[in-house]
Amino acid sequence: MALQFRHLPIQRKLMIVIMVTSGVVLLLTCAAFLGYEMVTFRQNAVRQMSTLGEIIATNSTAVLAFDNPEDAAEVLGALRADRHIVAAALYNKQGRLFASYSAEGREAEFPASIQPDGYRVEGDYMVGFTPVVQVKGATRLGTLYLRSDRKALTERLRLYGGIAGLVVLALSIVAYALSRKLQQQISGPILALAETAQAVSRRDYSVRALPQGDDEIGLLTEAFNHMLEQIEAKNAELEARVHERTMELEAANKELEAFAYSVSHDLRTPLRAITGFAEILLKRPADTLAPEARRCVELIQRGAGELDQLINNILAFSRLGHQALDCHPVDLAALSREVYEELRAALGARRVDFRVQALPQVSATPQLLRQVMINLIDNALKFTRSREQAVIEVGVRWQKAGAEPTFYIRDNGVGFDMNHADKLFGVFQRLHSAQAFEGTGVGLAMVRRIIERHGGRVWAEAVPDAGATIYFTLPEVEQLG
Amino acid sequence: MPEYQLKAVFLFNFAQFVDWPEEAFANAQAPLVIGVLGEDPFGAYLDDLVQSERIGERPIVIRRFRRPQDVIGCHILFVSRNQAAHFDRIAPELKVRNLLTVGDTDSFNRQGGLVRFVTEGGKIRLRINAEAAKRCGLTISSKLLRWAILVTPEKG
Repeated sequence: MALQFRHLPIQRKLMIVIMVTSGVVLLLTCAAFLGYEMVTFRQNAVRQMSTLGEIIATNSTAVLAFDNPEDAAEVLGALRADRHIVAAALYNKQGRLFASYSAEGREAEFPASIQPDGYRVEGDYMVGFTPVVQVKGATRLGTLYLRSDRKALTERLRLYGGIAGLVVLALSIVAYALSRKLQQQISGPILALAETAQAVSRRDYSVRALPQGDDEIGLLTEAFNHMLEQIEAKNAELEARVHERTMELEAANKELEAFAYSVSHDLRTPLRAITGFAEILLKRPADTLAPEARRCVELIQRGAGELDQLINNILAFSRLGHQALDCHPVDLAALSREVYEELRAALGARRVDFRVQALPQVSATPQLLRQVMINLIDNALKFTRSREQAVIEVGVRWQKAGAEPTFYIRDNGVGFDMNHADKLFGVFQRLHSAQAFEGTGVGLAMVRRIIERHGGRVWAEAVPDAGATIYFTLPEVEQLG
Repeated sequence: MPEYQLKAVFLFNFAQFVDWPEEAFANAQAPLVIGVLGEDPFGAYLDDLVQSERIGERPIVIRRFRRPQDVIGCHILFVSRNQAAHFDRIAPELKVRNLLTVGDTDSFNRQGGLVRFVTEGGKIRLRINAEAAKRCGLTISSKLLRWAILVTPEKG
């Protein structure tokens, strides 16, 4: 009950509080009146009966004194006027039944002996005795016995109960109507405030609660509105600042990219001259070039080749910033196998166990996703080079039902120290020396850039010398049906 | 209850239903006297009956008189049959003014007696000459009058 009460709307609560309070007060009042009425009515009934007894006793003195039972019966017969008197009797001085009266249809029943004077309630009846004494003489001439039913009391009680019931009913209706009207004074502002608060929780900071009166709720409303103003102002300020920063960052980024692009581009011309002339030198007859010089030229050519690849990668990376996305459903599993087949040609006699799970289709730009898979599989092959049996696995898992799929590519290569995991996806960040593993330090940065442009995330886990796992998420193509 | 025992009770009860004027008593504590004129039919019963009774502060005393002229300081006088037979002659000899005379002869009322016992069907009824009682300065309670038969000497 208490628990249910807590979940009721405030309007209902207020009404219940008012109704219960007024109802209890009303009932207690009625009960008090009824109790008072009963006690006084009972006292009155006893008093009336005593009075009636006195009157009849006074009228009975002569008939008792002069031994006249017939006339005594007549005296008692006057009691017929009171329909609640069911029996009456006169006893003479010696205590013997002298005359009697019983109401019509009543079995007359009289006590065999006289009991102490006075009236009392006995079961459903009120009975009692009055001495019959002639005022002048102290002599007791006899005793009057009276017996009345308590119908007067029950009739009165029923009447009062009925009236009380009607009053309670009528006043309850009045209280209901009043409380229904009056509780709005309190619940109205609170409900309005709650509604405003709900609008605010939908991130609409422009709403305001209607100011209501000067009471506590009015103060609350005012404070609430003030708070909203502050939030709205703060919010606008923050948004403006974020926008400004974003613009600044974008400008700086563009500038940087343009710079990288033009530098890379400009480096190509002199690089082409270096590789071109190195080639010319190497094409000369073997005896015209000292063996020492030929080795130097070969080193120049190899270095220029690496530099060329680096420049190509940087150009590709910066081009990513401009290339528009063109998403189609892509079968990631097929793509992985295709890429692996291409890269396998350069593996020679290495033993590689390449496994691909069944993967859901993803929505992505096919060429860009292909670049991602090339970089990731190439990395995996590179860092498992020292393994007699390389194991590379492309798979998927769901963090929870209905969530975005998380793809991963796991290898059993050299791994890396997790302390450096944050550096992994930065441009030119290399965790291994160029002597141990060749590479430009651009591959994973490209992977991150492509995945993030598609709205996904990428991260890595690894244990040094036990392998690494690269995770990434991509939006899944909605399944039909 | 034998007839005269009942009549004795009635005599005593008259003391409760009749008011005498103040001058009928010497003082507030003076006894109320019930007299029996002539042959006493009650015997000791009447004396026993009133022995411990009081009317207000007054004790009750029984006196017996042989002759009408002896009747002095009396309030209720029962006139026995032998005397009542010629009550009309006796009455003027009674010197007490406020005297409730009671008798049980048929002619008692007619002869000027105030209260007469009548036996009807084994019951004793009262015939009272209320007007004469009033002339004697006696006030008889209406409660008593209500159940008694009121008579006048003519109708008695």
